[in-house]
Amino acid sequence: MYEIVSSVKRDYIVDLAKQEKRIDARTLDQYREVDIETGLLKNAQGSALVKLGNTQVVAGVKIERTEPYPDSPDCGVLMVNAELLPLASPTFESGPPDEDAIELARVVDRGIRESGAIDLDKLAIKTGEEVWAVFVDIHMLDHDGNLIDASALAAISALWHMKMDGVKDWTLPEFPIHKKPISVTTAKINGKLMVDPCLDEENVMDARITIATMEDGSICAMQKGGIGYFTREELELAYEMARSRAVELRKHVG
Amino acid sequence: MIHVQNRELVVPGQLIAEGGYFIREGAFREGQQIYASVVGLADLHGQNIRIIPLQGRYMPKTGDVVIGVVIDTHYSGWILDLNSPYVGNLFVSDLLQRKVDLLLEDIGQYLNMGEVVMAKVKDVDERMRVSLEASEPGMGRVTGGKMVEMVPTKIPRVIGKKGSMIANIQNVTGCRLKVGQNGRIIIWGDNPRMVSAVVEALLMIEREAHTSGLTDRVRLMLEKVKSEGGT
Amino acid sequence: MDKPEKLIVDGRRLDGRLPDEMRPLKIQAGVLKRADGSAYVELGDNKVLAAVYGPREMHPRHLQQPDTAVLRCRYNMAPFSVEDRKRPGPDRRSVEISKVTREAIQPVVFLELYPRSGIDVFIEILQADAGTRTTGITAASVALADAGVPMRDLISAIAVGKVDNTVVLDLNKQEDNWGTSDMPIALMPRKKFITLLQMDGHFTPEEFKHGLSLAFKGCEQIYEAQKQALREKYSIKSEGE
Repeated sequence: MYEIVSSVKRDYIVDLAKQEKRIDARTLDQYREVDIETGLLKNAQGSALVKLGNTQVVAGVKIERTEPYPDSPDCGVLMVNAELLPLASPTFESGPPDEDAIELARVVDRGIRESGAIDLDKLAIKTGEEVWAVFVDIHMLDHDGNLIDASALAAISALWHMKMDGVKDWTLPEFPIHKKPISVTTAKINGKLMVDPCLDEENVMDARITIATMEDGSICAMQKGGIGYFTREELELAYEMARSRAVELRKHVG
Repeated sequence: MIHVQNRELVVPGQLIAEGGYFIREGAFREGQQIYASVVGLADLHGQNIRIIPLQGRYMPKTGDVVIGVVIDTHYSGWILDLNSPYVGNLFVSDLLQRKVDLLLEDIGQYLNMGEVVMAKVKDVDERMRVSLEASEPGMGRVTGGKMVEMVPTKIPRVIGKKGSMIANIQNVTGCRLKVGQNGRIIIWGDNPRMVSAVVEALLMIEREAHTSGLTDRVRLMLEKVKSEGGT
Repeated sequence: MDKPEKLIVDGRRLDGRLPDEMRPLKIQAGVLKRADGSAYVELGDNKVLAAVYGPREMHPRHLQQPDTAVLRCRYNMAPFSVEDRKRPGPDRRSVEISKVTREAIQPVVFLELYPRSGIDVFIEILQADAGTRTTGITAASVALADAGVPMRDLISAIAVGKVDNTVVLDLNKQEDNWGTSDMPIALMPRKKFITLLQMDGHFTPEEFKHGLSLAFKGCEQIYEAQKQALREKYSIKSEGE
């Protein structure tokens, strides 16, 4: 997924990092401007368009009936899929999901699933035979970095604005979502940690760590990515940054 | 300050020394510390630190004598497999030591796919593109004989100090050997039993390269085979 | 299988271990003939085989990098490795694990010494009992050293988790199924640089920190076993001395 960055640009970003400065003048712990629009797609039970700086991601949630998994006969099913659409970046190719798309989908999935945000056990229709399936499909539209956080925000926002009236035989009073896990991705460049990497920063970073936290600061998911490493101290700092940024981002979910 | 003994078996990441030593092979520096990068034997002489790898692919170096196998031809030469991540290129003019008019001559008469060539590494660039030459006496196409491959790092043991090991083998068995730095060895001999004995000896050297007294053990083994055969 | 009422009884886990104890570990280097390097690791009931080919010519050509080697990892679970037969071939989980495995190992390999070449790492899970990805990374690291690929250090990996509100080291299958947290970690043991970190479940920040400490301890033990396995492969040969 990485483009070739000219050495001039790379050196510039790396030098700025040493001075705790960023290429777009943000501070190390500052997110780009966040804009979330929900309910924009009428054929989906839930939808959200997230703009994170120039990055744009749309998520659609559809509910269907399905068979439950054998080991959880009265739980609903959650499936998250991500597509790195070719229109979003010259580096994306059409075809089945590659390792980046798969990783992204699974990281977003874990943030939602492990937090227990959706009460899957309220989604049984007939024990052992039929349950509700929640399909979350996330499509990248414009890649300017940090697709993971944008996707996680899109997914959780869509799930918090579900309109169930189009679903035949939906008997629950509302869609059972009760928590707002928020993912925060931190990049490491030249030994400095910064949140919400833009595309240029992503192409230059040593590694990234995504941490999903709940309202009480507990951690429900983590994923390190990239070919660099973190020290224990860096991870602890990344956690602090993730926790405090999550509070802000959570407000946008509505 | 040195932290390991000479000929000690070390593993990647192991601290070898601290200070201004000169790293010849198999180790790297982080600040004042020097660590091993491969599994190997520590070879410490004066200010020099070398870790002799016990395993590893052959990396072509200018001046090395190598034994290659033709795997492709092109208009003006051949590509040779060198038992390495990198292939070697041999231009026909570097084989024949004369200018060749490619419109008139078919280079296939000199070398074909699958044939074995004794060559010298002429040049290696930073992209590891290797050019070979094979015009010296003793170089060029090789026919007959039996080819054996071993881990390239053990080849110096096959040659021995001042050629003592290879002389040993040739004298006792009456076979002739040609050794490539890239881990390939060709054996010629009239007596098949002796040729097999040489193969056995080479396997023994590969297994026990890091031990001492090997030259004598090999000689004894070969003499035993020779006397048992009644040749 | 139903969930056991308690996963920790009188301070001991169901298999008798204390919270900071690992399962029995066995590592052998150089177990395959064709591969350039290989390793076999048993951790509890996990049986994992790793093989390395390379550095070798990189195919397809257009994926070559002009000034470094390209490291590729393939994590694969054999269909007979798990209780319910797994369909052969990569699934999404294997693709993700292959990716994070590569990213866990790449930081230590001197890729720049082998321009235009490829180094392929294959990890086969023959028998699975929780912790296969970390066992795979541990095995891959030994296989790379066995192949003579130069590295800055080995990579040691282990998982920590939480059962009955206690942070524990090296989850077995039951603990992985019924526990509330799973955090695989891989380290460059010499400098304690973390090259793999994933987590799902629930950790308070304190539990996370405690989990890191346990993982560091576990990795120290694994590191010793890895080094020992490499030494053993060659010391048997020096019996001729």
